[in-house]
Amino acid sequence: MHIVSVSGLCKSYPAFQLKDVSFSLEGGRVTGFIGRNGAGKTTTIKSMLNLIHTDSGEISYFGMPLLGNEAEIKQRIGYSTGAVSWYPRKTIREIIRVTKDFYTGWDEEACQSYMELFGLNESKKPIELSEGMKVKFNLLLALSHRAEVLILDEPTSGLDPFSRDELLELFGELKRRGVTILFSTHITSDLERCADNIIYIRQGRIQAASAKQEFMQNHGRPGESLEEIFLRLEREARA
Amino acid sequence: MNALLKKEMQLSALLLTYLFIGFGFMTLLPGYPILCGVFFVCLGIYQSFQSAREANDIVYSALLPVAKRDVVRGKYQFVMFIELCSFALMAVLTILRMTLLSNAAVYRQNFMMNANPFYLGTVLVLFGLFNVIFVGGFWKTAYRIGKPFVIYVVVGFLMIGAAETLHHIPGLEALNAFGFEHLALQLLTMFCGVLVYALMTFLSYRKACADFEKIDL
Repeated sequence: MHIVSVSGLCKSYPAFQLKDVSFSLEGGRVTGFIGRNGAGKTTTIKSMLNLIHTDSGEISYFGMPLLGNEAEIKQRIGYSTGAVSWYPRKTIREIIRVTKDFYTGWDEEACQSYMELFGLNESKKPIELSEGMKVKFNLLLALSHRAEVLILDEPTSGLDPFSRDELLELFGELKRRGVTILFSTHITSDLERCADNIIYIRQGRIQAASAKQEFMQNHGRPGESLEEIFLRLEREARA
Repeated sequence: MNALLKKEMQLSALLLTYLFIGFGFMTLLPGYPILCGVFFVCLGIYQSFQSAREANDIVYSALLPVAKRDVVRGKYQFVMFIELCSFALMAVLTILRMTLLSNAAVYRQNFMMNANPFYLGTVLVLFGLFNVIFVGGFWKTAYRIGKPFVIYVVVGFLMIGAAETLHHIPGLEALNAFGFEHLALQLLTMFCGVLVYALMTFLSYRKACADFEKIDL
């Protein structure tokens, strides 16, 4: 079943265009969203969250269009971006105390267990956290309200290898619980391990959207890893 | 208190904004343009907008499970809360000046505007102007605060100057009434201020919602 559907998304900036972006996400699957810097990943993700105003196209979650059902849909999805600092001079405790009032499904027990898992201290302020710890705090906020869909923009950037490993294990666990994950990253080795599907975007246009094995069969050469395929495709496009 | 207002008060706002409500005490200053208290209260609100911008508050709010227009509503609720708290303080002090202090020499020999219902009506018009020019102007970009604030300062001080001048014009002396003199006229001017404030704030909010829908975060 398609939990998220993006259809015909177009957005024009003076120096960049998102062209007819369409894909869908299946329930309980991890989808890797890959592309170079500036390929359109963040623009697509921001469109999916109604943070930017698209020229055309439709986005729906759980069969409901985003526009007109924004509040209801956002109760059921979680978003985390890299090391962005929200309210850098407030304590984590203060931010959580205010944030949880917005979510009907906030799970305090889950919040505390992620706090422990990520080694976060409630008394600290985002300004006092390392880049990796900021990523973990953003993830904690996204994970603590029992989101059915997680949209993660570069969630593993800045994390040490051990934390990345823990996070990928967590994604596996969430997937088993039926959570749908869209995971944008440059670190394609993470996707080798946890992704079921791959969406590949270049210059604002979707080049491929399929199961990971199918993507590797269609675009790869024998023995090539996902990263090698991605690098070769980019080089070929530039040549 | 709803979650949006709580977020504004506990995460977005600066302590300074609450402290600046105390500028309502300028109502008691003799021989001083007491409407300037409104400017300082607005300056306090401006500081919170600046701090919220540095804290990525608007994007954070837009990611919460609320519609985009609700993000705008939360900010307006907070601005109105601060304005009405300071208005309440000014109103209490105005009543004090109209009753117990109505014959105090420092106020009787006051060349500047008296604290009376006309003053309170003008306070509300100044707050309404702030909501239209600064708060409404902010939502055109959701990050630019300097230009709308400078425009408000210019318009606001012109308004303060005009309000301070009015009662010196022959025939308009009643605007500077002491105690309960010319009470009907005084209350009418205050009521007009209430209407102007409500109308300006409502129209500004509607336009801000439409502007915010159009912009990219």
